[in-house]
Amino acid sequence: MFKDLYLNRVAAALLGIAAVCIQPAHAALGGDAASVDEDAAAVAGTHSVSPRQGYDLHVIAAAAGTRIAEFIDSDGRVFAVTWTGPVMPDLRALLGTHYAAFAAALAAQSPRPPHAALRVATPGLVVETGGHMRAVSGRAYLPGGLPADMAVSDVR
Amino acid sequence: MYAESRRCAAAVRTALAAVLLGLIAGCFGGKGGPSGVTQPLPTLNVVTITVDSGPATATGAINRPYVTVHVCAAGSSTQCANIDHVLVDTGSWGLRLVRSTLTAAALTLAPQTDAQGNALEECATFGSGQTWGPIARADITLAGETAAGIPLQVLDDTQSGAPAPATCGASGLINGVADWAANGVLGIGVFAQDCGMNCAGTGAPLPVYYGCTAAGVCTAENVAVAAQVTNPAWAFATDNNGVIVSMANLQDANGDASAQGQLIFGLGTQADNALPGSGLQLLGADANGDFQTTYNGASVSVPGLLDTGSDSYLFDDPTIQVCTSAAWVGYYCPANAPLVRTAINASAAQTAASVSGAAGTVTFAVGDPDSFVANAAAYGGLAGGAGATRFNWGMPFFYGRPVYIGFEGRSVTSFTGPFYGY
Repeated sequence: MFKDLYLNRVAAALLGIAAVCIQPAHAALGGDAASVDEDAAAVAGTHSVSPRQGYDLHVIAAAAGTRIAEFIDSDGRVFAVTWTGPVMPDLRALLGTHYAAFAAALAAQSPRPPHAALRVATPGLVVETGGHMRAVSGRAYLPGGLPADMAVSDVR
Repeated sequence: MYAESRRCAAAVRTALAAVLLGLIAGCFGGKGGPSGVTQPLPTLNVVTITVDSGPATATGAINRPYVTVHVCAAGSSTQCANIDHVLVDTGSWGLRLVRSTLTAAALTLAPQTDAQGNALEECATFGSGQTWGPIARADITLAGETAAGIPLQVLDDTQSGAPAPATCGASGLINGVADWAANGVLGIGVFAQDCGMNCAGTGAPLPVYYGCTAAGVCTAENVAVAAQVTNPAWAFATDNNGVIVSMANLQDANGDASAQGQLIFGLGTQADNALPGSGLQLLGADANGDFQTTYNGASVSVPGLLDTGSDSYLFDDPTIQVCTSAAWVGYYCPANAPLVRTAINASAAQTAASVSGAAGTVTFAVGDPDSFVANAAAYGGLAGGAGATRFNWGMPFFYGRPVYIGFEGRSVTSFTGPFYGY
């Protein structure tokens, strides 16, 4: 009995660890609304939501003018992210499972583009970032993931 | 004969000395009056800018304006080196030097520590990536101007120091000579430090400055502005209220092998750096260092910047074809080049600058890189930036016109920075 209880506790603990581990850290692009809260916590920001035609716009506002916007479709999936602020956000966190594809495409760019702008475009992912020290802005989106009546120029 | 000759020689020497004195007096204000007090020699305030194919270890650069910077270990007159091919960047603040370049020059600079005695390091953000490396102090000399003991960043391309935090460099670390096509970056834009008060407060620190333990564990922290990476031209003893970037026009906008210009220190402090009396377009900058630009009749303006660190005009125009050739990824390749475009520059709405010039229109041409002169270093019509939410006036803007940079909180005539002018 005692042994069983102990094993149950171990199993529960392992499950708990597994639950923590399989939850992607701040997985934003391709993630769900809960991931936006994690992104907000990562920058100690406030999180607000406003409904738009065909999607919800989640905005994280943080110190020094940092603003991160996440676009969530009717299925609850983040299909676009934009950022603006004094420093580059953690793109590993914002791009989530799509970061590896971004990094691979970036590594394949040679020569590197001018340092004030960066663009990576693959069939499944577009990342654009630019600006300068103290003021960077950019966006990432899943080209096939935009609602039918939404233009790329609305990803702002 | 001999004695005669000596007397003659003495007379010649006396005469020559008198003539020389007269010449010197003539040069330096001999009309100063009976006291005979001569004016002090003006500080040499001009260094040559060269646009060429880049440092020996990373050729193929385009539209990169370079200067040579004299760097000495702080307080030393012997531990010095001339670092060539340092990129002149009006779009950043402070000097950054690649570690492998310093090592090759046998130059070791004093690393800085924070209040806890940990190594002070930085993750600095640029438009397309971030730099990582320790803060060191050095004496920086350009022409006759010296910034004594100022903080700079050593770009840790050899990964000799604490490793970059996981959150730094997700869009690429740009620490090497090849990343920059330069041995360093000379940030001489409108601000005094690279981060300023955003990194000096008491709130949660931005992920910019870090204290790193001997074990290489780095934690973000706030740092006093005096300890932040500092714009050398702001820290000079004289001629420290701004700079002028004055590039000659290109002979062929489709490609010159090289281009020349001058980086002039000070505004209105010497005979060679006065603001023009008429025709000057002045633009007040906001807290980000930006003014406002309205492109091609757009309904809204976007933040604008005059940036020698960018090799091209960077702006969003979905109607212009982007290049498909591998050599020009990220640039525009218009089908009917050159495309003539206009944009209106105006002061930022919220600016600390005492500048309120009228908005002015700039007309510029977008060329087709596929038809440019091959292997040139200076191109006049290079543009890119699809998707950009800003307007960046890169090097093509600078060819053929002087550009004035006014530092924050410093004045020339009735104007106080931060401002831009052309």
